[in-house]
Amino acid sequence: MSVSAQLRVDRLPAQLVGGWELGLLVLMAILFVGGALINPAFFLSGDAFHAILRDTARYAVVAVGMTFVIVNKDLDLSVGSTNGLVGVAFSILFAPQFNDWGPISATIFCLLLGITIGLINGVLVTILKVPSFIATLTMLLIGRGIILGLTGGRSIGYAVKAREHGWFFHLGETNILGFNNQIPIALLIVIVGAFVLAKTRWGYETFATGGNEQAAAYAGIPTRWVRIRAYLLSSICATIAGLMAVTQDKGVTAQAGLSSELIVIAAVIIGGASILGGRGRVIGACLGAMLTVVIDKVLREGWPTTRIVQIDGQDFEVAAIAQLPVGAVPALLGALLLLAVLIEPYVLRRRLIGRLWAWLRGKEPPLIIEATGIAIEGVQTKGTMASDKALSARGLGKFLARRDALAIALTIVLWLIGLWLRPDYWWNLQNSFAILLNYTELALLAIGLTYVIACGDIDLSVGAVLALAGAATAFAMKVMGYDPWTAVLIGLLAGMAAGFVNALITVGFNLPAFIATLGMFYIARGLAAWIVAGKQLTGFPESFNLLGRKIANVLDHFGIDVGSGTLRAVSEAVSIQTLWMILIAIIAGIILGYTPFGQMIYATGGNRRAADYAGINTRRVRFISLMFSALCATMAGIIYTAFFRSFNPTAGQFRELDAIAAVIIGGGSIFGGYGTMIGALAGAAVITLIRALLQLNIILPGGGSFVMPQHWVNVFTGLILIVAVLIDIWLRQANILAGLRLARFIRLKSEPEHA
Amino acid sequence: MPEQPILEPTAPIIEMRHISKAFGAVRALSDVDLRLHPGEIMGLVGDNSAGKSTLMKILTGAYTRDSGDVLVSGAQTHFKSPHESRAAGIEMIYQDFALCGNMDVGQNIFLGRWPRKGLFVDRKAMYREADVVLKRLKVDVNSVYQRVESLSGGRQQSVAIARAISFDPRVVILDEPTANLSVMATERLLETMLELKKHNVAQIIISHRLQDIFAVGDRVMVLKRGENVGERYIKNTTEQEVLEIIVSGRREKVA
Repeated sequence: MSVSAQLRVDRLPAQLVGGWELGLLVLMAILFVGGALINPAFFLSGDAFHAILRDTARYAVVAVGMTFVIVNKDLDLSVGSTNGLVGVAFSILFAPQFNDWGPISATIFCLLLGITIGLINGVLVTILKVPSFIATLTMLLIGRGIILGLTGGRSIGYAVKAREHGWFFHLGETNILGFNNQIPIALLIVIVGAFVLAKTRWGYETFATGGNEQAAAYAGIPTRWVRIRAYLLSSICATIAGLMAVTQDKGVTAQAGLSSELIVIAAVIIGGASILGGRGRVIGACLGAMLTVVIDKVLREGWPTTRIVQIDGQDFEVAAIAQLPVGAVPALLGALLLLAVLIEPYVLRRRLIGRLWAWLRGKEPPLIIEATGIAIEGVQTKGTMASDKALSARGLGKFLARRDALAIALTIVLWLIGLWLRPDYWWNLQNSFAILLNYTELALLAIGLTYVIACGDIDLSVGAVLALAGAATAFAMKVMGYDPWTAVLIGLLAGMAAGFVNALITVGFNLPAFIATLGMFYIARGLAAWIVAGKQLTGFPESFNLLGRKIANVLDHFGIDVGSGTLRAVSEAVSIQTLWMILIAIIAGIILGYTPFGQMIYATGGNRRAADYAGINTRRVRFISLMFSALCATMAGIIYTAFFRSFNPTAGQFRELDAIAAVIIGGGSIFGGYGTMIGALAGAAVITLIRALLQLNIILPGGGSFVMPQHWVNVFTGLILIVAVLIDIWLRQANILAGLRLARFIRLKSEPEHA
Repeated sequence: MPEQPILEPTAPIIEMRHISKAFGAVRALSDVDLRLHPGEIMGLVGDNSAGKSTLMKILTGAYTRDSGDVLVSGAQTHFKSPHESRAAGIEMIYQDFALCGNMDVGQNIFLGRWPRKGLFVDRKAMYREADVVLKRLKVDVNSVYQRVESLSGGRQQSVAIARAISFDPRVVILDEPTANLSVMATERLLETMLELKKHNVAQIIISHRLQDIFAVGDRVMVLKRGENVGERYIKNTTEQEVLEIIVSGRREKVA
């Protein structure tokens, strides 16, 4: 072959750094010179530069571990939570007002904590086969819940006691040479990480596992251990970074490490790693971290400008700090992440820069070794073999063999538990109404997600899109002064735009849905906070608020009297949004279950290549499904705003996990190809009832009462999602119970022979 | 089966002439000819990277040829995708069957063209038709309601063939059909191929297993480094001779 003939053997390919790293350095130099010209006060001051290096140090440390994970074709979304949790754990152990431990024992505990988290991540992803983004996103939210639960949202400080242990806390301070000790610590870790990944067998094993796990396993590489190892490294790095932050700040806030996973993942990807696995370099990730931190810092802390202020008709120049409102930073960083994931497959892999350079010099462009074909294809794991129990089963067995049996049975059991716990309260109209309302929002999200999950994709952005749509609607009405109809239309457009970006990145650019919708997860929520920042968005026209009212209110509004019988009672409990949700569910359920389009969705999720061969336009099917999911989230957002008569940027937070859990409990498969509307609705009922039960004010036998705080409820829902996914993978698909029964049967049969 | 066009026994249904194809600097095929007659089973053999799959992908339209002609029933064709060649009666059965494991046998046979009644899928008609196809092929699948992922490899293969047959093809291409099958399943597959032959369907079988080709084939064609290095009638040759051609064949022009 002529390709191999062109390779020169005398020069080995670069491992530690390459052209991309050089490009990043040049880019940063250009940015720096540009920044210095525009704003010398900031960029030429040694302090600012030092602060950037110091903050980069912590992110670079986390990026080292993350590079290993991403090269393995995995993802670790939990680093931000780990980072914060370590800070909180150290502070609670060390602070004199709590446990008053010494710094060494607290550090050892934190390292053990980090190792435990890494191990849990690794075991969930490898041995238990939970998709990495689901497992680690759940860990992220559980971690956040625990941080809030432990701190109660307050800061913990111990500046006085820290002085007694100066040698330890000096690690986070400026040394006698004039630079912060965190910088050499990070440099050391980066150099070690770079050599391990690029030059050692550990690194080679990582690249093999990320490139083709099956081939690596056949070659005798312990791929499970390689992946667990990367998660351990990632967690330990996050732990070290958390400790570095503690030594610097001598305290911790409940926001520690919040959304720092976004910065770290963006950094690794900008550094040239591929979200599709198998490529990445630690030095590049470190440079990416520096670039991302600079961008983050500039966005967050603003830049000095002059404003023209008119006083008495005269213009005055006033020095000011141009600062972006809250929410803008995650929104822009999320957008940066979405752009960055396109770099490796579309720029580096196609050698765009090299080809441009050759073209400019009038030379023959270098060969594209793998620009086409299936190289750019996200992860699509096939479900494991399942025996078809439904065919042979009869009666109750037939019901239990249904994939949605669990959800339906659980709904009934949970409702009965509620009745048993609080017979006085559970069955009354107000409680039923409250449950039904929570149910409606979740069910709407689950309806859309069912399509996406059945297609084999995922939408992590539904909660954020809900917030974006609600914010856009509220903003259009209150700030821009539009009438309710136009405002609803603007809300729909905003939500659909988010769905379009999701679909474009996933289908148009052939990248995994989880990364596209993860970017949107930050963008949409950031935009929602940005839009409503500093504004009081309440007092909408009552005709708009009717979208979120009970039927009774609507009847009253139009002066219709239905008397005071059963009809009245029903109209008190059922609201407009519930009817709307049921309508959408029926339409979506019929399309999914009985039309060719529904069959196309199942075919796409079952085996996309086979569906393509069969002439199904799977790209169209996936595109429509992702758009439909965004539409459902948008409708939920508009209804949310109408129901609360105001908008709060935390709308729909954690709802993505609830909705995914609902679909999975209802018989959907995280690997695609399964999921029904009835199942999703039952699954949503299960999640709603669990939340209602957890928040129930339980009257203790002694006469006291107990309510679980909201943070811990979120921790529980995270656990439920993991359990649901595990049940799906191991009970429904691998049918581990049948396997165990079979194993016992074989053992029983063989035992007499032994005897 | 629809009525087969009446053809002279000698009139080929597929004729590929002087096919050449290059990928960048790599010549995958150079000046390859292929002829296939109705009801004929032809084995296509050769080492890896001999160009077998490339030749078949050019026939189905998955790849476009650089030069040469492809004639189906004597008419020039320029397929741009497998869907176009399917319309011309050419079906390919892929090595991994290309089925959706989460769907049942009936749904898979009609993958992508589920019969409909109004807006909805006509499930009764779908399962009835699927049953008819399976019966005609005499394949052994318990039920059209069974999920494909719960079937064994051989039965999945049967479903893939049933799916191909349901298009009433005139030509079926089988890519390494026995690679993943047990001995029993291979036997059954070969019987199915002979059954198809009775229906006057022409078949091309790409296989490394010469004994399968010798069991059912009429003719065998050997490719080597993108060139046609030999073509023999099964009744006039031996496995030994074909092996020798694969290993050390030189280009020869077959009349």
